[in-house]
Amino acid sequence: MKTGLIVLVLIGVASAIGSALLPRTFYQTPVFKLLLFLLLLNMFLCTSNRIRLTVRLLLAAPTSKAWYRNLGILLLHLGIVLILIGGLMYSVYGQNERIHLSAGEQVDMQRVLDIEHPFTLQLDEFRIEFNEDGSPSQYISEVTILEEGQEVKQVAISVNHPLNYKGVKAYQYSFGFMINAEYVTEDGEEKSGSFVEGALLQPGGTERKVKIFKYIPNFNPAHGMNTVTLRPDNPRIIFSVYEGDKFLGVGAAAFNEPVEIDESVNVTFTGVEPYTVLEVKHDPGLPLVLTGGITLMLGVCLALLMAPGRKSNKDHQ
Amino acid sequence: MGVETMEIMMTVIIYGVLFSYLLAGILYLVGNLKSKASLFKYALVLAVVGCVLHFALLVIRTLLTGMLPITNGSEFLLTFAWITVLIYLLLSYRYQIQAAGGVVMLLSALLVFVLVALTGGKLHAVSPLMPALKSPWLTVHVITAAVAYSAFTVAAGLAVIQFFPVGQGIREDYTNLMVKCGFALLSLSIVLGAIWAEQAWGQYWSWDPKETWALITWLIYAVYLHLYRSREWRSNYARWMVIIGFLLVMFTFFGVNYLLPGMHSYA
Repeated sequence: MKTGLIVLVLIGVASAIGSALLPRTFYQTPVFKLLLFLLLLNMFLCTSNRIRLTVRLLLAAPTSKAWYRNLGILLLHLGIVLILIGGLMYSVYGQNERIHLSAGEQVDMQRVLDIEHPFTLQLDEFRIEFNEDGSPSQYISEVTILEEGQEVKQVAISVNHPLNYKGVKAYQYSFGFMINAEYVTEDGEEKSGSFVEGALLQPGGTERKVKIFKYIPNFNPAHGMNTVTLRPDNPRIIFSVYEGDKFLGVGAAAFNEPVEIDESVNVTFTGVEPYTVLEVKHDPGLPLVLTGGITLMLGVCLALLMAPGRKSNKDHQ
Repeated sequence: MGVETMEIMMTVIIYGVLFSYLLAGILYLVGNLKSKASLFKYALVLAVVGCVLHFALLVIRTLLTGMLPITNGSEFLLTFAWITVLIYLLLSYRYQIQAAGGVVMLLSALLVFVLVALTGGKLHAVSPLMPALKSPWLTVHVITAAVAYSAFTVAAGLAVIQFFPVGQGIREDYTNLMVKCGFALLSLSIVLGAIWAEQAWGQYWSWDPKETWALITWLIYAVYLHLYRSREWRSNYARWMVIIGFLLVMFTFFGVNYLLPGMHSYA
């Protein structure tokens, strides 16, 4: 048990230092992983010992409170061992990726994750629902699952409601907007396209360039570049104009309002198209981690409820 | 009832709670120092009055938002302080722990004071839940955390007073019982939170500052429970660990919520 406690203390101290100095990256370092692995080894041994002890106690006094307490403590340790093994399985076999999808787009899951059952995910619609005050109330990706071109089912993925299909989980992770713009190119062609924030447009008939800086759903100059709410109550596209490297100015354009870049050269922002960002994951260790978590919770409750009875010191008097 | 009336009423109540706890704490302390057991009666009455007013505040807040008061940092603090007092009152009903009453009531008063200082006494503001918080796991995850924090606070109150002659009468296994309760509930809270995080963010553990510091807190109490059980460390060492554990709990709450960025910075 001493070794185990030393490992516990080391993990605690390492976590604290890691959290202060290297948040995020520290916990991926080999040193920290080694500590967790040592904990797993130690707890595996101590749990095996506990199993023997509990069995012996069961044979001696099967229904005593002490036996249940021991069982509780055993389950608590066993739960942690299962969680650590499940975590180890994730770090070896787990896969996770993020996918960006606009409405109508499809993704072949076998191209994203190394999985046995191939299927295709198609985004039908991404939408944001709002509260009365304009704050977001839910982000929803309506998707269709296809197998060999055949529609299997339609599912709504939203925050707290992931998709779970054939060992793949998909979570509503983030979202963004593509900005639609129309302008005449140098070849004299009418061009209309979807652009990411930060894209640079080169309209014809001028040396000037237009940088699409940011989409602001609810613009108010008093809030600067920050939107008042996510609800598109007053949508604007923030853009800037350059000539060579020289910055000429910045503006906030409404949809479908032609912006004059140079004499008789216009760019029109016609709207935005939302896209969803889904986190897709394959984690064979997840069932084990969940079982471990439940075992731990059962164990800790049992151990507490069966804690040795104590007489109050009022009773002593 | 108008918004202003509501605001004034809630402010009056919270100051009433603060005053009751403060005075109860002082009476407990004076009663112990001067060995005047008669003062405990008044201290107890004040603690109970404060606790009832405090409960009324929680009820009003629940009616106002339509949700249990656990959805942001201020509400959590309000609930956590109330459960601390409740646990102390229940415990002191069964066991003779009046010696710790001063420390526990003053700690509770401090929690309420911090809440008043943070919110300026404005407890009536209502804002809708963000999507990540809309989950049935919210209730169980946060309530278990609040009860765990409260049990650790009472444990620390007992541990502090046991350093002084006046606290010698308090048996060490009461502190141990409180730590066990806190530890069990913190374990539940961490596991339930992990189950929720997996659903909401796709990762059951991501070393977010709150998770990391909750784990560190959990580890120190785990070490305490092992050492206590093997009878290696009792008395002074064990008390210091309970106090350090409590300071970690406070850091996990205030430090992480208000200083470090992360997924738990909702307040």
